[in-house]
Amino acid sequence: MKILNNIRKGLSDVSVIIHNEFRTIFTSFAILLVLIGGIFVYGLLYNYMYAPDVVRNAPVAIVDYSKSELSRQFIRYLNTTPQIEVVTDGVDYSEAQVLMKNNEAVGIIYIPEDFEDRVSRGEQSIFIAYETTSAFLYYMSMQEASSAAMLALNENYRPNMIVFLPSGSATQLASAQPVTVVGTALYNFTEGYGTYLIPAVLIVIIFQTLLMLIGMISGKERETGSIACYATEGISFGRVSRIIAAKTFVYLVLYAVFCLFLLGFITLLFDMPDLGNPFYVIALLVPFILATSFWGLGLFVFFTDSEAPLLFIAFFSVGFIFLSGVSYPMELMPWYWKVAHYIVPAPPATLGYVQLSSMGASLEQIRMDYITLWIQCIVYFVFACLSYQYQIRKAAYQKIKTQ
Amino acid sequence: MNDNKRHNAFYSVFRRELRRMVSRKLYFVVCVVLPLFCIFFMATIFGNGQMENIPVGIVDQDQTSMSREITRQIDAVPTFRVTRHYADAETARKAVQSKEIYGFLVIPDQFETDVTGGREAVLSYYYHYALLSVGGEVRSAFESTLRTLSMAPIVLQAASIGVAKEDVTTFLLPIKSSNHPLFNPDLNYSVYLSQPFFYIFFQVIVLLVTVYVIGLEIKFRTGDEWLSIARGNMLIAILGKLLPYTIIFSIMGVFANYILFGVINIPFSCGFWPLNLTTILFIIATQALAVFIFSLFPAISIIISIVSMVGSLGATLSGVTFPVASMFVPVYYTSFLFPVRHFVVICQNLLYGDYGFAYTWQNFSLLFVYVLLALLLLPHLKNAILSRKYENIE
Repeated sequence: MKILNNIRKGLSDVSVIIHNEFRTIFTSFAILLVLIGGIFVYGLLYNYMYAPDVVRNAPVAIVDYSKSELSRQFIRYLNTTPQIEVVTDGVDYSEAQVLMKNNEAVGIIYIPEDFEDRVSRGEQSIFIAYETTSAFLYYMSMQEASSAAMLALNENYRPNMIVFLPSGSATQLASAQPVTVVGTALYNFTEGYGTYLIPAVLIVIIFQTLLMLIGMISGKERETGSIACYATEGISFGRVSRIIAAKTFVYLVLYAVFCLFLLGFITLLFDMPDLGNPFYVIALLVPFILATSFWGLGLFVFFTDSEAPLLFIAFFSVGFIFLSGVSYPMELMPWYWKVAHYIVPAPPATLGYVQLSSMGASLEQIRMDYITLWIQCIVYFVFACLSYQYQIRKAAYQKIKTQ
Repeated sequence: MNDNKRHNAFYSVFRRELRRMVSRKLYFVVCVVLPLFCIFFMATIFGNGQMENIPVGIVDQDQTSMSREITRQIDAVPTFRVTRHYADAETARKAVQSKEIYGFLVIPDQFETDVTGGREAVLSYYYHYALLSVGGEVRSAFESTLRTLSMAPIVLQAASIGVAKEDVTTFLLPIKSSNHPLFNPDLNYSVYLSQPFFYIFFQVIVLLVTVYVIGLEIKFRTGDEWLSIARGNMLIAILGKLLPYTIIFSIMGVFANYILFGVINIPFSCGFWPLNLTTILFIIATQALAVFIFSLFPAISIIISIVSMVGSLGATLSGVTFPVASMFVPVYYTSFLFPVRHFVVICQNLLYGDYGFAYTWQNFSLLFVYVLLALLLLPHLKNAILSRKYENIE
């Protein structure tokens, strides 16, 4: 009977905290703005910004000193590639350089004077491609386009070269076939940048907005001193853990809706990869939201006003994408950043989500990151409880002193 | 007399701000520790900056001397480190899924027999494109290695009938390309990303700190005192208040430049002054943007989250990752509203060739426009402080 009573008392305590937490969130204009702006506007905006997905028709200047049939054919081939667009082929090298300096061209293809003469003498011809590296995607599209055009031109011109081979050898050479090389991109059906980046960005958005939400609430509690109110029911570890659990429950409920919007609706709307088994994704998101909540609660209760936590959140959004290993391979990072990957909840969750939803991996294949998240849950739960216990006690003493 | 008074007012505001800054550890952490952390992060995260030794797998179903030779050649490519051999493509694909490898090559059964017999033989390689930047490197390394290898049967045949190797290469590849990635010849990731991304992080800090320090005056109702020390002159109030931060941030910016260009040796074409003066102008423009946005609606709790989002957008709209010119037109034009976009454009000019002011004067001018915009709204900010309308908004 006593146990039942205790449980009943505990539950009513929890429900009061939950009720208050919801009220704090839905009565604060600033918090609602973060949630609406951060989740809904940002989620749509990021997808819209990256919706072009691939670089098409990057402007390229051609310096054609050869002015021959072969060079014109080459330019035609270049122009038919989807990646680049020839903006001009009537400039000399210095004019082309000016175009590049003005950002009107992202690269130059230089066709030397003896371009056709050399092949008609039976020698190899060379063209030179200069690519900007101001954005690697420009470099990649130019490289793809110029090598595709080159291969096509070679195919086309090869029959003319037979005359330079020793007589009779051509038929014998024809009996040998070049090996066919086939390259296939895995897990990115559009081969695009948005398809690659957006899933990672969505998880970072969830992480950052949740931290902002927690930061604003716990900063507020310290600022107004309302954190001392928790002391009325005692500050035993059990009681503090009820506070943490109740608050986290609220965040979990809210973010269930937001995740459905970001990872469900947005993903469908913008045709993002969704190979993931929904149950696996949920299984990943639960420890992620929990660990993030505990981590945020533990950290931000040390701030004394509701804006200060925000100074520490937004600047590192891109940093989490790097740390997750989605953009730069973790294998090549120094050891301390590999360690950092496993300390903060966002990087393992980001990588895990990309593996689940973009690559259709199973939970077993992301076990390292998945288990990390659950360990973080346990560690940060204790951390959050201790932080709260410390701050509530401090605030309560101060309140007594001032009375 | 009047001049002296003004100077004194400015000095008093400046002194007051310095006192406020040392009164809380927070300012030290945000203005000094965070930028230093960002410098350290961007300087070290890419290791040596080269995408080398990327783990890849081999599926060798042929198990002949030829397939082993191909494996050896793949292993010799600096980009790759062959970490494992897989029995079939399915297991290798699973390994890609668990991110043990970033790509793999399949040498099919009967490969050697087909090649020597003059039948069609296929080498298939697969690269991880859900992780596009690594996948891109893996693909171009596979492509360049295998393209050369693919001609091997013909070269072999030619050798057997006594045709010189040069003749047959010229026959096979009459036209050849020579690729020159400008400014970053070995495609080093540190050279590419460390400098712009440090400033992308840094501008968020500058924006937030500026909004925070001004906003607190309104929130904690110290605005009257602040204005009275400035003798009611809003311009003096704002300049005296923000100057200490401009100085600290400029020191951090110059230090970051020193680390990036002096210590980790990112190449740059311009001298000390153009680089650092641009950095300082960028910091001032960013502060001005923060003042402008804040003055529109001077309630800290609202604006600080808006500024967080504006700052984060800078990462996308700076155009470093996905080129802004390839984005939709509205997004392309929006990018010009962000100081960081202009800063990146100017820096690319300065670092790559120091082409001169003629190519960047528009960007420089726009950085000054932010200051003008901020000045235009100062009267509104002053009214907001005096009217006390915005003190209780949250």
